[in-house]
Amino acid sequence: MAVFDQWWAAIQERSVAGTLGFWESIYKEIYLNFISDARYMNYLRGLRVTLIVSALAAMFGLALGILLALGRLSSARVGRFRYLSWAAGKYINIIRGTPMLLQLLIINFGVFGSVKMDKIFIGVITCGLNSAAYVAEIIRGGIQSVDKGQVEAGRSLGLTSSLTMRLIIFPQALKAALPALCNEFITLIKETSILAYIALTELTKAADYIRSRTYSPFMPYIISGLMYLAVVTVLTKVIAALERRLRQSDTGAGAR
Amino acid sequence: MIRVRALAKSFGGLAVLRGIDQHIKHGEKVVVIGPSGSGKSTFLRCLNLLETPDSGSITLDGEEITSPKYDVNRVRRKMGMVFQQFNLFPHYTVLGNITLAPTRLIGLDKAAARREAMALLERVGLADKADAYPVQLSGGQKQRVAIVRALAMKPEVMLFDEPTSALDPEMVGEVLAVMIELAREGMTMVVVTHEMGFAREVADRALFMDEGVIVEEGAPRSLLESPLHQRTRDFLSKVL
Repeated sequence: MAVFDQWWAAIQERSVAGTLGFWESIYKEIYLNFISDARYMNYLRGLRVTLIVSALAAMFGLALGILLALGRLSSARVGRFRYLSWAAGKYINIIRGTPMLLQLLIINFGVFGSVKMDKIFIGVITCGLNSAAYVAEIIRGGIQSVDKGQVEAGRSLGLTSSLTMRLIIFPQALKAALPALCNEFITLIKETSILAYIALTELTKAADYIRSRTYSPFMPYIISGLMYLAVVTVLTKVIAALERRLRQSDTGAGAR
Repeated sequence: MIRVRALAKSFGGLAVLRGIDQHIKHGEKVVVIGPSGSGKSTFLRCLNLLETPDSGSITLDGEEITSPKYDVNRVRRKMGMVFQQFNLFPHYTVLGNITLAPTRLIGLDKAAARREAMALLERVGLADKADAYPVQLSGGQKQRVAIVRALAMKPEVMLFDEPTSALDPEMVGEVLAVMIELAREGMTMVVVTHEMGFAREVADRALFMDEGVIVEEGAPRSLLESPLHQRTRDFLSKVL
């Protein structure tokens, strides 16, 4: 880092003299908000928290969302699962109808108010519970988009309704839902930034902390913004590759 | 083999089947003809309980399958069904489509299921398409695979729901050829169709349905050439 520090010393002199050019002042901002005092580590630690919370919440949300979608589509009118569809519908309505920040505050101060709980855990629970409602509707749409002849073909072979769902309907539903699911995961990653509100040092909170040290009004947020952008870009590319692979059966490419 | 008594079914107040009585014997080939909306597809779909009858009973080999205690999945294994729209599983290869049910339901191991599937594909002339996906097949090829998929469960009866109606004319022949071969081997078949040629050549008995009842039945040649009822004559004059 010695070379950066040398540049910095030179720039500081001219900064005092008031003769700093445009690019030099940019460099000054970057040095101040990213390099000095190893501040990049603040961002990276924040990014790590953001990624951990997003990944766990996405898995939790996907699993719960699938269960909610199946519950919502359940046609049971008697027995143990009688109220499943109703309950799933209410859950989805309440979660989608209230702000996520409010849900976070309720979970943080209400549900876990009197117990010491890891902030990451609270973040995963909140974001997961919230995402599940959206995932449920995406999956439900996917399931309903599959031609009903597929169910009939499966059942006519003697497959049970659960085997038909698992082997025939669900794989096709997931494929149809993939673009919308990708969208939901992208939203989820960015929405973890509200966890800054409960003082979890994820990427946005980390940037805000740097701003409070350096008083730079732009650079910390721009740096964290670029990091979000990089993560989302990588995710988009991964899912696009996955979609291409799943499309194999549509085009027949790769089938020999 | 299959005995149907007083079968009735309505959809939202519309009576589609209004009392069907039938006895389909082992090895018999029955074709069902009639105008659209006559209930012939619903009749076929009631036989393997894809539609639940409102009243009446169906017995298969002496067992009443319409009884609530009867396991519907068991009866469906004994009855293969072929659909107008093929309904192949697009995310499985041809071989995957065929071996799915036998490996899951009969407990056949993969290699054995594969061998049997290949033998069946060989018979319908599609062995070279085993690893293709349904989207790569023509309509006629899809329907032949669908027939093989149903046969792989070694059913006692085959139900065909307008198997050639969604096909381009030049592909009808290849599917009918497979069905004719199946009939020659002694398979019990119930076929809803508009292929009067097939009815004449292959069927032991033809049923003419209209407005939810069987108006007339008999040997296909006599039913097609000298129908007794006015409604049958009207229908035949439109299609022949």
